[in-house]
Amino acid sequence: MARIDDGVHRNGGFEINVDGTVVSVAAGETVATALLAAGRVSLRRDGRDGPRGLYCNMGTCCECMVVLVSDDARRLVRACLTDTTPGMIVSTTTQDD
Amino acid sequence: MIEPYDLAIVGGGPAGQAAAEVAVSAGLRVAVVDEQARPGGQILRQPPRQFTVERWLAGRAYRDLKAQLTRFEALPLDWFGRCSALGAFPGADGWSLQLSGPEGSHLLAARRLLIAGGCYDLPLPLPGWTLPGVLSAGGVQAFIKSQQFVPGHRFVFAGTHPLQLLVASQVVAAGGDVAAVLFAQERGHLIAEMSRAPFAVLTSAAAFMIGATALRALRRAGVPIVFGAPVAAIEGDGRVESVRWSGEREGTAACDAVGLCFGFVPQTDLVRAIGAEVRWIDRTGGYAACHDDWQRSSVEGCYVAGETTGVAGADAAMCEGRLAGLAIVHDSGRITPSDIEREGRRLKRRLAGLRRFADMLGRMADPTEWAMRNIPDDTIVCRCEDVTYGMLDSALRQQPAPAEASALKLITRAGMGLCQGRSCEHAVLRMLARSSGKKPSELNGFNARFPARPVAIGDLIPRP
Repeated sequence: MARIDDGVHRNGGFEINVDGTVVSVAAGETVATALLAAGRVSLRRDGRDGPRGLYCNMGTCCECMVVLVSDDARRLVRACLTDTTPGMIVSTTTQDD
Repeated sequence: MIEPYDLAIVGGGPAGQAAAEVAVSAGLRVAVVDEQARPGGQILRQPPRQFTVERWLAGRAYRDLKAQLTRFEALPLDWFGRCSALGAFPGADGWSLQLSGPEGSHLLAARRLLIAGGCYDLPLPLPGWTLPGVLSAGGVQAFIKSQQFVPGHRFVFAGTHPLQLLVASQVVAAGGDVAAVLFAQERGHLIAEMSRAPFAVLTSAAAFMIGATALRALRRAGVPIVFGAPVAAIEGDGRVESVRWSGEREGTAACDAVGLCFGFVPQTDLVRAIGAEVRWIDRTGGYAACHDDWQRSSVEGCYVAGETTGVAGADAAMCEGRLAGLAIVHDSGRITPSDIEREGRRLKRRLAGLRRFADMLGRMADPTEWAMRNIPDDTIVCRCEDVTYGMLDSALRQQPAPAEASALKLITRAGMGLCQGRSCEHAVLRMLARSSGKKPSELNGFNARFPARPVAIGDLIPRP
């Protein structure tokens, strides 16, 4: 699990919050990349209590649903299609609330 | 009421770009919708604007595609990135597209519609394939191309499609380890299919160069490439830790990531939802959009191009997109048939050659023999609703046995989840075909329903 550094310049970065933990990301990274780079491979437990993670990384399989938390709303989104923004709050544990 | 666009294109990949170029240069007002932030499609999945990437996809194979992308990005059109097309509704004056993005949903009106939705990796159920760390090979490749991120340390690639050699070599080039590349079929099968179609081989030298270069890179890196090695199980506690394969050269490789590569199936949710004709694809399963000689679907005012019509690669997608663009411009009354006939003939000749190669590749990569065979009962088939092979199997043994995919869906919930059956439909149909003695092509798939992509109910309710 690694960001490619050779020949790649990331211009700026910021922090987001994943399940209460601060995670540093580079500007332009998706929520999916932020989660994997932080070692968060498992994103939910399925109906048989099995661990589950992202699969297709192109918006098709809907395995990477996470909740974006803000003051007035909670949005269930596909992590692979969602760009991170400074201060974003991501929850992987509250999908079924 | 805002004046409708002359043309709305769903998909900013090679096909959508080619059509847009023709349409815009003929003076049409064009909107392009794509779930990615930037145009390119999966083949040219661009890095974010905030990144600077030296030598991005520097290989010769990407040259024409990148040239088209550069031209596309300079076109005067409206780009709707990070937008999902949830549905398309015909009206008196064309189409109304329901879109959804980070800021909510809205409608887009257009006189004509081109669906160029691309394709996705065939999701083939295997024991352990739902463990975190198991990705589609296309998903791995997209992380590398776009996010400049390697989603694992040590990979095993497994499947039947030669593209996995390329993705594995890209992982190695990006600094990752590849423990093994496993082909379910024997090496002889690949060679036999190539020798059956020498013309396709000769006219597709570029594709074979890419394959040969990838093979050399993998050999140099000491990556074992094993043929006749179907996956027996993907194993791990909490996440993937190893892949075990069967066959004469059975073995196990430790890894923390897996890329599965059994071929690709067209995205046809929108095509099916508007009632346009599709056909079952025998080898990979799934449905491809039908069209006439000029990429017109069976529904008036809707055109289809690229992998949505059957997976044939990016060059074919560019040709089909251009054909669709010409047809749209013609049908809009902007040019006469004689203006487009010569260009049309040239494109169709080129397409015929590209489709011969795609057909050969499809036979080489045929996953049928490993699709839904020898699967343990507790293997998940429908990933969204956790429906296993055993649950589907026992539903099929009921009397009277369910005769349709929709009946099996009602009994088991397979296909009822967020992905709308994109992952499991082909698998459910293969099982249903086997138990009913019919061919999958004789059965009906799930009914394509709105929305084609997940959306919050609140986003669909107009705000006061």
